[in-house]
Amino acid sequence: MKGLSNKITLWRGMVGLIFAAGLYATYARFAWGLGRATNLTDAQPWGLWVGMGTLCGVGLSAGGFAIAAAVYLLGFERYRPVLRTAVLVSFLGYLSVIAGMMYELGLPWRIWHPIFMWNRHSMLFEISWCVMLYTTVLALEFSPALVEKIPWEGLRNWYLKWHHEVLIALVMVGVVLSSLHQSFLGGLYLITKGKLDPLWYSASLPTMFYLSAIPAGLAVTIMAMYLSIRSLKADVDPAVLSEVSRLIAPLLALYAMFRFVDLITHNAMPYMFRWREESWSFWLEMGLFVVGPLVLLSREKIRNNPQTLYWTCAMVVAGFMTNRLNVSITGLQASSGVYYIPKWTEFASTLMILAAVVMAFRYAVIYLDILPKVAARPRWTVGRVAEA
Amino acid sequence: MEKTRAILVDITKCIGCQSCEQACKQVHGFPMETEARLSPTALTVIEEHGDKFVRRMCMHCEDPACASACLVGALRKTATGPVTYDGAKCIGCRYCVVACPFSVPRYEWSKLAPLVKKCDMCAARQSAGQLPACVEACPTGASIVGWRDEILEEAERRILGDAKYVKHIYGSQEAGGTSVFFLSDVAFEKLGFAAAPQQPMPVLTANALGDVPTVVMVGGAVLSGIYWITQRRVAVADEERRER
Repeated sequence: MKGLSNKITLWRGMVGLIFAAGLYATYARFAWGLGRATNLTDAQPWGLWVGMGTLCGVGLSAGGFAIAAAVYLLGFERYRPVLRTAVLVSFLGYLSVIAGMMYELGLPWRIWHPIFMWNRHSMLFEISWCVMLYTTVLALEFSPALVEKIPWEGLRNWYLKWHHEVLIALVMVGVVLSSLHQSFLGGLYLITKGKLDPLWYSASLPTMFYLSAIPAGLAVTIMAMYLSIRSLKADVDPAVLSEVSRLIAPLLALYAMFRFVDLITHNAMPYMFRWREESWSFWLEMGLFVVGPLVLLSREKIRNNPQTLYWTCAMVVAGFMTNRLNVSITGLQASSGVYYIPKWTEFASTLMILAAVVMAFRYAVIYLDILPKVAARPRWTVGRVAEA
Repeated sequence: MEKTRAILVDITKCIGCQSCEQACKQVHGFPMETEARLSPTALTVIEEHGDKFVRRMCMHCEDPACASACLVGALRKTATGPVTYDGAKCIGCRYCVVACPFSVPRYEWSKLAPLVKKCDMCAARQSAGQLPACVEACPTGASIVGWRDEILEEAERRILGDAKYVKHIYGSQEAGGTSVFFLSDVAFEKLGFAAAPQQPMPVLTANALGDVPTVVMVGGAVLSGIYWITQRRVAVADEERRER
């Protein structure tokens, strides 16, 4: 048991450090302003907070709507054990995006303005509404996990009955909203024609963003499940992870096909083979997001071993993040004329928000019924209490 | 169609005296130090390119990218031509800075409640019958203001009348047409002018946004259909099990 407690202190120490740095970065952001607390400039007005916090945050949270659609609309009961984990990860992901907005916006106390001040011609307006509504949908989809812990039976039953009645409609609304804003995040960059590098600029950016978000969101769901099994001793049949992973390869292949055809039709091929950072980043993205995972996931041995599957999913996520950062930072660098590297405060605040998501997920899994109760739940809850 | 205002800058007539810069700073109450680049306190500047002086300012596009990008509608194209900014609406997302094909809007990075700053063609002065401060201050007539169609005619007349001019009015095609035009005797790309797309920028996003009602209707119908089929299959399977 000594090894385990040492490990826990190491992780706790790291989380403590991340929070200390993150809180100082938060102080810097609000006391010094964006100019001193970031490396953002008029030439590079969007940096890590948008590229990582918003684009990756929303994209990697696509697992919730995909799994909900699979279980409730398509009737794939075999994914039900993953459902609550997927919805929880997505819900926390969207909350992190909203938290990140409080850093990113110059006037965060006006974040409610889009509710009353409309511009239907703006991509960002549609996204802000979709994110507001879909976060509400996720909160409602997740709510039974909290409500079922309410000690008053009458209230509990009344709510769960109501929830059961609206659930299908809720899932459908969630799928439509997700489809819209996942693609519109790519749509944000349609207006950067002439600025964004040809390796990423395309009239099909919305489709690309949509097609890439679903496999990435599923990969995150698998990672969250694996970590719950490993470190929280959730008793889940790992076969379900392999089951989910079988969706990822075909989705990635579909995306790769679109991406490839798109690059050819845009005559972007020559840009791939130039000696410059953009081309290297492009190949890194392709290797991590398309080639590597497709090769690895085609092998049954890797899919069926939870650990190798976990690292393959990590590769998908890393590749996805490379893509979003390429669109939002690398691909715009040449036209901006500045070389943007995020300031430590940008990294620290982003890392703190991520750590908060991981912690919230951990406590939710410990205290709520998130994971399927294959084994008697009291055993491991009691076990944890005894340890502490 | 209503008549709109436009500015013509003839680079061949500019002597680089920076009177426009000074006048702009004065009417806005900015500190008077000269700045080399556009900034939150320099909404127009004279940039030196070799022996040429190039004035930079908001181009006041006919169909502005910034106005289509702004999610709260803080930026808008007014009926009389200027693209104006309402700081009371702005939430500081800086999408306008990302969207502008001419890289014009500036953000007050050093402030704790930062706003976007850009030229508004002195919209308030013009509606009061005055000239934009920069045009009024120009001693050589390098900058003139007038009705857009007349200003364009004047620009064409100059190009046709004198062989020294490059045969292009910068701003007539760029981003689908602007309300600030430049004439030059040196190729525009050598003077730091952006090779902006020759189309109105909002068109790029309009198609995708136009799909919203379709996606909602068709998506909702398809999803309902799929759900109905799924339920039907479960019901049929139950029925068969019971019969057996």
